[in-house]
Amino acid sequence: MDIFELAIYILPPYVVALFAFGVAYRVSRYIFMFRRVPVRRRQRPASKLLAGLVKTFLDPLIIGARKRKSDFIGGLILLHILGVIPLIFLLGQHVAMFSYWFPPYSVLRPLSIPSSATSPALTLTAPLKPASEMSWTFVESVWGPLTVILNGDLLAVLAMLGVSYKIGDKLWRAYRRVGHVRLGDFAALLLLLAILVTGFLATHHLPSGDIVTYRFVLGTHILLAEVLVAVLPFTKFWHFVFGYWYGKLHEWYDLKYRRGAL
Amino acid sequence: MSGWEAFSPDTLRSEAKAVAGRLNPVLLHFVEDCVGCALCEVNCPYTPAGEEYGPVEKAEPLRRIVRGQVFLAAKALPWLFGARLPRSAEELDRWAELAYRCTNCGLCYTTCPFGIHSGTMIQHLRYFLARTGRIPTLLKMMMDLEASGNVLSVEGFSKVWSELLGKLEGLGVSFDRKGAKYVYLPSLAEALITPGALVGTAKILNKLGLDWTMPGKPLSVRAPIANLAGDSGAALEVTRRIVDYVAGIGASTVVLSDGGYPYRFLRFDAPALLGKPLGFEVVHIVELLHEALRKGSLKLREVDQKITWHSPCQLGRMGGLIEEPVEVLSSTSKNFVKLESHGLLSKCCGGGNAIACVVPPTIEMFEGLLGGKIPISEKEKVFLDKLYKDMLIASKAKVDEIRKSGASTVITACVGCVHTLQLASKAHGLGVEIKTLPEYIAELLPE
Repeated sequence: MDIFELAIYILPPYVVALFAFGVAYRVSRYIFMFRRVPVRRRQRPASKLLAGLVKTFLDPLIIGARKRKSDFIGGLILLHILGVIPLIFLLGQHVAMFSYWFPPYSVLRPLSIPSSATSPALTLTAPLKPASEMSWTFVESVWGPLTVILNGDLLAVLAMLGVSYKIGDKLWRAYRRVGHVRLGDFAALLLLLAILVTGFLATHHLPSGDIVTYRFVLGTHILLAEVLVAVLPFTKFWHFVFGYWYGKLHEWYDLKYRRGAL
Repeated sequence: MSGWEAFSPDTLRSEAKAVAGRLNPVLLHFVEDCVGCALCEVNCPYTPAGEEYGPVEKAEPLRRIVRGQVFLAAKALPWLFGARLPRSAEELDRWAELAYRCTNCGLCYTTCPFGIHSGTMIQHLRYFLARTGRIPTLLKMMMDLEASGNVLSVEGFSKVWSELLGKLEGLGVSFDRKGAKYVYLPSLAEALITPGALVGTAKILNKLGLDWTMPGKPLSVRAPIANLAGDSGAALEVTRRIVDYVAGIGASTVVLSDGGYPYRFLRFDAPALLGKPLGFEVVHIVELLHEALRKGSLKLREVDQKITWHSPCQLGRMGGLIEEPVEVLSSTSKNFVKLESHGLLSKCCGGGNAIACVVPPTIEMFEGLLGGKIPISEKEKVFLDKLYKDMLIASKAKVDEIRKSGASTVITACVGCVHTLQLASKAHGLGVEIKTLPEYIAELLPE
């Protein structure tokens, strides 16, 4: 059994179980600690509260764009908006994989992003159609000219630049002995970078085109992605699933809905 | 040995447990969901005084305390997960330096992409520090005075209050009158720093024709001042005293003229602390004015003066009254100008959360009232001198904003803001008049 087989056929149920346990553990703490607060809210019009909800999510983006441009471009645009979010959820190979595990996900298939700006083939070996009813070798991109940007190659490079920027920023802060930078920050960012690099290499059948190397690189990519999913509820990656949404919704509820700060 | 010198690892460990016992879902989110992006730094008033005073950095000590108590992995590998307590008195001093560079203004809260309020965490850190020997002496003295139940036991305070009472009696104010519908609740701090606010509020309440009374002596130094040291136990005692007093009068509404943390505390935090509704409504005087002007039951005289409004963080951002004061003031002067940052992201004055209350000029003022020196160690003196220097740096952005507005008078509604702006105005040569809202409005009441 090689790493590819391990990652594809053995680990998924364990990864999902760990992830589910972690989610249950973290969310349950919030539920068990909850106490109702007997505070009378300030009445405000529903339309203003709704606009306030949108602004609650937008304000940090606007502040970041105005006052911390490097982080806005490196951390938000490159790493998140152009990088990992479309790559994880819309890259053709990933849509195929998610659809295999969770068939309703195939509804996103028309929005799939090809891995290359010049070819709709999923991989170099795409013409060899797998013997499966769900086989899928090409991305019929709906993105038109936008494919110049929305393609796996470019997005992966942008995401790698974004992660590298974040690593550099953390290193610079660590050098200046800023107290909130921890080893865990680097572990999370290096894991993400390794996933991006191995994914890029696997797509291009690098460093060589032989099947053993390909299986090793792709297996490593999948294995590292599984590590990320398994540790997600216990690390900073949790912000993506819970922290961001809970935090901003709570802030809106506390400041705008309850206190009426509009 | 004075408190500022103390260092006991056993005390640190036991107080760390006490801090962990205060966790609730919201605090847990603040502690564990920060990714360290540090965007909060850009709007914090104290970042200009040093990058190390950014909110993410100031909240880190509290995270270190909680991680070591709550998270299994951090207990096992504290060095890996950033979970350790101070190893020396110097490190504890450093934590105190960070904790007293936060005005709890809430700007980090609205700036953070994850809705994390570092100010709340820093209040819990202050609680830990107070219990382990790091609390400014003047703040501790005021807490003890408030806990004693008789804030007028100091002769200097009693004298100021008596003089004020004479003025209020001249306005026909009745004290401790049972059956009144409204109770006006001023604090000792207002009497000492913004006495005009008390007289102004009395005039406004009379003009509005309300059935009101007020305590014959202040119930608190300033709401529960213990709240500023994160001491919720002591704050609860004072809150109960206030609730019992209002219940004894039988009033349905408490009116405040201080739009600093007393408003936010009594309006939003006190019910949570008590675990039940207060049994009466809490309003700021500006809410009564806004309502009366809206209904047309009050008309104010207009002036040409160029005025502006400094929104106290605890009344505006954290209290929800952002536009009401602006609407009231706009009706009094065609030359009213909004400050550039007015709104949810209004800049902080830099002196809130007890900072301006403990810096050297305030200590001198209190020494005058107390009639003697306040015993402050050399170590604490160094701490306070640096704090004052940093406070003036933190207030610079607000001063610049006021200067840019071209206003000759700044109206605000918080004792701490008035005191800070007076100190900052002097230090930065701003040269504007600073008034409380009730003081200003009382001058414009119709005959």
